[in-house]
Amino acid sequence: MNPNRFSPHRTLGARTRRDFLAQAGGGFASLALVDLLTRSGVSLAAAASARSPALPPLPHFRPKAKRAVFLFMNGGPSQVDTFDPKPALVRWQGKAYTGDAKVGSNGRPVGRLMPSPFEFQRHGQSGLEISSLFPHTARFADDLCVIRSMHSDTAAHASGCLQMNSGRVFIGHPSLGAWLSYGLGLENENLPGFVVMTDPRGGPIGSASNWSAGYMPAAYQGTLFRSAGSPLLDLATPPGTTDRTQRHALDLLNELNGQHLSDPARAQHSEIAARMASYELAYRMQSSAGEVVDLGRESAATLERYGINDRVTADFGRKCLITRRLLERGVRFIQLYSGGGHIEDTWDGHNDCLNNHRLHAAETDRPIAALMGDLKQLGLWDETLLIWGGEFGRTPTSEGVDKPGRDHNWHGFSMWLAGAGVRGGQAIGATDEFGFKAVEQPVHVSDLHATILHLMGLDHRLLSYFNGGLDQRLTGVVERNVVTQVLA
Amino acid sequence: MLPLADKTIANWRGWLGRSGGWLLVVGLSLSALSARAAAGPDFTREVRPILEKRCGTCHGRLQQKGKLRLDAASLVRQGGKHGPAVEPGQPSVSRLLVRVLSTDNEERMPPEGAPLEAGQIAILRAWIEGGAVVPEKEVVAPAPAEHWSFQPIRRPAAPPVRAASWPRNPVDAFILARLEARGLPPAAEAAPASLLRRIYLDLTGLPPAIAEQDAFAAEAATNAPAALDVVIDRLLARTAYGERWARHWLDLVRYADSNGYERDAAKPLVWQYRDYVIRSLNADKPYPRFVQEQLAGDELPDASRETVIATGFHRLGHWDDEPADVDADRFDQLDDLVRTTSEAFLGLTLGCARCHDHKFEPLSTRDYYALTAVFAPLRRPQDGRTERTLPAGSPAELAALAARDRELTRLEDEARAVRAKFRDEYIQDDRCPLPAESLKAWRTPPPQRSEAQKKQVAESTKSLDEAAERAWLEPVRQRLAELEQGKQAQRTAVPDLLHGYFLQEPPGAPIPATQVLVRGNPHRPGDTVVAAVPAILDAKPLVKPDDITRTSGRRLAFARWLTAPENPLLARVIVNRVWQQHFGTGLVRTPGDFGLMGEPPTHPELLDWLAHWFIHDAGGSLKKLHRLLLTSRTWRMARQPAVDVSTVDPENRLWSHVPYRRLEVEAIRDSMLAVSGQLNPQPFGPPMFPDIPSQALEANTDKASIWTASSEAEQSRRTIYAFIKRGLVVPMLEVLDLCDTVQSAPRRQITTVAPQALTLFNGTFVNTQARHLAARLRREAGVDVIARIDLAYRLALGRRPRPAEVSALQEFLNRERASRSAEPTVAGASSPDEQAWVQVARVVLNLNELVYPD
Repeated sequence: MNPNRFSPHRTLGARTRRDFLAQAGGGFASLALVDLLTRSGVSLAAAASARSPALPPLPHFRPKAKRAVFLFMNGGPSQVDTFDPKPALVRWQGKAYTGDAKVGSNGRPVGRLMPSPFEFQRHGQSGLEISSLFPHTARFADDLCVIRSMHSDTAAHASGCLQMNSGRVFIGHPSLGAWLSYGLGLENENLPGFVVMTDPRGGPIGSASNWSAGYMPAAYQGTLFRSAGSPLLDLATPPGTTDRTQRHALDLLNELNGQHLSDPARAQHSEIAARMASYELAYRMQSSAGEVVDLGRESAATLERYGINDRVTADFGRKCLITRRLLERGVRFIQLYSGGGHIEDTWDGHNDCLNNHRLHAAETDRPIAALMGDLKQLGLWDETLLIWGGEFGRTPTSEGVDKPGRDHNWHGFSMWLAGAGVRGGQAIGATDEFGFKAVEQPVHVSDLHATILHLMGLDHRLLSYFNGGLDQRLTGVVERNVVTQVLA
Repeated sequence: MLPLADKTIANWRGWLGRSGGWLLVVGLSLSALSARAAAGPDFTREVRPILEKRCGTCHGRLQQKGKLRLDAASLVRQGGKHGPAVEPGQPSVSRLLVRVLSTDNEERMPPEGAPLEAGQIAILRAWIEGGAVVPEKEVVAPAPAEHWSFQPIRRPAAPPVRAASWPRNPVDAFILARLEARGLPPAAEAAPASLLRRIYLDLTGLPPAIAEQDAFAAEAATNAPAALDVVIDRLLARTAYGERWARHWLDLVRYADSNGYERDAAKPLVWQYRDYVIRSLNADKPYPRFVQEQLAGDELPDASRETVIATGFHRLGHWDDEPADVDADRFDQLDDLVRTTSEAFLGLTLGCARCHDHKFEPLSTRDYYALTAVFAPLRRPQDGRTERTLPAGSPAELAALAARDRELTRLEDEARAVRAKFRDEYIQDDRCPLPAESLKAWRTPPPQRSEAQKKQVAESTKSLDEAAERAWLEPVRQRLAELEQGKQAQRTAVPDLLHGYFLQEPPGAPIPATQVLVRGNPHRPGDTVVAAVPAILDAKPLVKPDDITRTSGRRLAFARWLTAPENPLLARVIVNRVWQQHFGTGLVRTPGDFGLMGEPPTHPELLDWLAHWFIHDAGGSLKKLHRLLLTSRTWRMARQPAVDVSTVDPENRLWSHVPYRRLEVEAIRDSMLAVSGQLNPQPFGPPMFPDIPSQALEANTDKASIWTASSEAEQSRRTIYAFIKRGLVVPMLEVLDLCDTVQSAPRRQITTVAPQALTLFNGTFVNTQARHLAARLRREAGVDVIARIDLAYRLALGRRPRPAEVSALQEFLNRERASRSAEPTVAGASSPDEQAWVQVARVVLNLNELVYPD
């Protein structure tokens, strides 16, 4: 019974739909009924068809966060240059790493230990240490919960991005956003529940596999949103069709479909009625989605704060501002990619990690801080979870001797959480003295997922989807744990 | 909200049904759920979940230590080898409670993990105190070996029916008998024109052309059922049939044209497999043979290029050319094969037993690894990250090719020797035109050449060879010509073999022993296993066939076991799939799961009758099966039941009618091309690339180079020929519920969401077809408005428009023309009238009736 914009209408028991339509009056030409159908949509019910009723209802407990934003630093930011200060590296400079962890990715040259050129300072009352790459984010030090002991299972971008997004190194599994859409449904039926905005230089490696719905219905997958022009695919009225004709053509379609449906033999088939409603919703979305990316009413000061007037920050700034607007309109999960394409166009600083990070940090630091400031001011901070990080970190060694690059490192890296339900101003866990390997309180990517689900009111052990003979989970079959120290 | 409550019940039903009797309570209703027996907690709702969770592994349906099963109240009361587990009304002497309360670690149950919680114990105690009540109508799930789908297929007699004139064939008798038993009449027969369109879409995925509609109307005037029978035969003979039904098969075998992951490389020549499927279906290859070819086409006694291409089946899956864990990668590839094979052919979810015994099915890790052993000898031909293709042919052709290549090498070696010998003589000859310095270098024996001389030799090799060739003496020239002729003759006698995309058992390559991996960990090998099928189906290991020498024979042995008439699953699974495609849902509503967790069939006798008939009478002919089903009265029923069945049979499990069902995206897109007149019927060959909006390309790593659309004519081929890229699925296909491209997909999801409306109303494809359709109407129906509307409806819906539809369209046209005329004309735009007709065509292509055929 759910012709919602982004939530699937699954074939449930026929009886339900018939009863509902009977109650609603049977006939189907009126827009009032279309509206009724729309408003009656319960996305949880749609999702429920693949859940066993023995499982508890969703969400499992009162959520700390209603919405989440994943600031995906594509390519893998270096922990020792950002949130994991390692003064010992100065002492070890130029020495070979002698630990037991495999260094770097497939066949790339292994250099020597290389300290960060970026100065770390203590910020805020908490004294959280943040490198000079993020002067704006550092203003929110007391809100950040840095996890310095992240680790994953893979050295490659494709499988790394997949794992960070779907918990698996293989394609074909639903992403975190799909799980949230499935588990929590929509707040605003006129907008997608799961929005993805990529970098103008290109998408992450693996592209759409990263926001896929896997074996779930396609409607749970991430929807690409453009930060300018027509934000959604096929949203714009086709060339040569005026707005007036668009409305008239839709009226004609409704009239003809209404005649078709008014045949007593069909009046009870609500899947056909739902399809009619979906066209009206699509029409309404043309304005509702367009309005989100229209920044015309934002003040000059706001645009300035997000850095939209500065060439370096313009793109990510625009995306962060649109993110705020999407959050205000109830979009559940938004993923922003910083960096796209290959190597130095992303945080993948193989050749010159230092200048690479200078650029990508400069592009994102101010917009992220502006977003955090706005969320606080608008009262959305306590409803929104922010997640910052990439698919892995980088080696404390250089890539090649005396070169400024750093290779992939999945043994230990940093991410941060902030916002609703998160205890800020702390750093959790630790890497070894070089910043190579998570040694204290290691947090696996799937532990992070468990923690994110927990903050969103979902129990990672209970949130499941029946597929291929098994109740599948985002966190898989291995036992994973919520990182309770994160929680406020 | 009432509908929601109802929905919950509907979902309960679905899930309970899926659990295959495991938890099946007959006559479940909301009131039954909420009514709590006065005599203590409800077993099913409160007691059973505790026992299931903490005791189920050892005392459940799959395993019964101490012969004790605790998954039904009656079984708890019955007890095990130590007697009843409970004494009703006396918790303190009930063994169940005594054991869970015991403080002796040797005694306490469960032996592993924490003891039961106080609250759980309280529930058990209260249930026993209340008399250990067995729920009314409790159904105890049979032991796994007795599970229905594992039993031999027998052919029941068609049941007697009261309305003896209704059945056209035994299918109808089985359906009608059940309807009559419930006092329900079958739906009326659908209108002939509706059935014509239904048959066309069902068998070919395309609507009937105008001439075909006319011809049918003439024939149907006297005897519509017979006229439809003729149409069925005609359509089954068309290539379009294979193009439609091959897609259903491709869903099952996780077909795609690329590997996925970072490079998402195209699978070279993989489309030959797709063509193989189309051709096999068109040739009506017996299903057992079709299965054998895909699993073991290279091992068959009559192996040919065709059957080798068929084994491309093994190589269709996703493949990470830069795997996260190199050791695990090989097992991940085997996992893809075991999963796909067990689900597609057997309807079993064996993939779940990779790390531990299946929790819900009688399938063990041993079963899983024994099946990986069947595929273990296969190797992927590759050069690092680049995949290689191999020549495809029969063993004789491959042997001849190898012999030819050896002979070619021999001839080439001799020619090289002749040329070298002459050159050695020629450099001693004064007529040699090389500069003196170079010549000196050549004449110096190689070991004594200076660095400069080596360089001179290298630089003058080409001119020396050319000069030598001009100077060849007649015997040399003649010998070389002979050798060249010999090579030509070899190539003519044994031409190159076309390559194909498949895995290979390399001749002579050692086959590693297969071991169970503990918890699926490639670094923790356990017991060695031999190739075998799941023990619940056949406890004997597979035996290498006598007639096999080139390969391990494991896949052939497996394929022969799989396709033997005694296999209880193969035929049941396929006839159910065919039924599902024709009727919307299967007789078993979990088409990929015939195990304990799957739903039992709605009509077990009919399923068995069909399976038995399919193997023994139809010889595995899918076309005969289609004919049987489509000539039944059951299939020809209207979408509307004769009486309201919404309370007695809300899910239509009795088949009182044939419910509406949206067409798959391929049939929608192909229909639109047929209606607009643009359909390019060119079958087979390399795939085409439909347009992808630039907006959708922006999110890709290599957005500039990732996708190049084909010409419009190429794009206008049927959708089955579209390139399916795992990392970038054509948005129109994706939004309209194309199946998962990674795993075997037993059923298309059907969702109704607004992005579909955006794609179909605003997207380039439909608007392009609308322009073509408008032009076609003008071209074929002339200036008459009514004639054009009439043509549009007949093309799109296979029927004439009703007066109310005509007047709605006329009104729109008039208004649209008027308002368009009032607007300033855009340079290059067509006339207001033409534009108005494009809008009409756009609306017609979006009609519900187009995608929901009657």
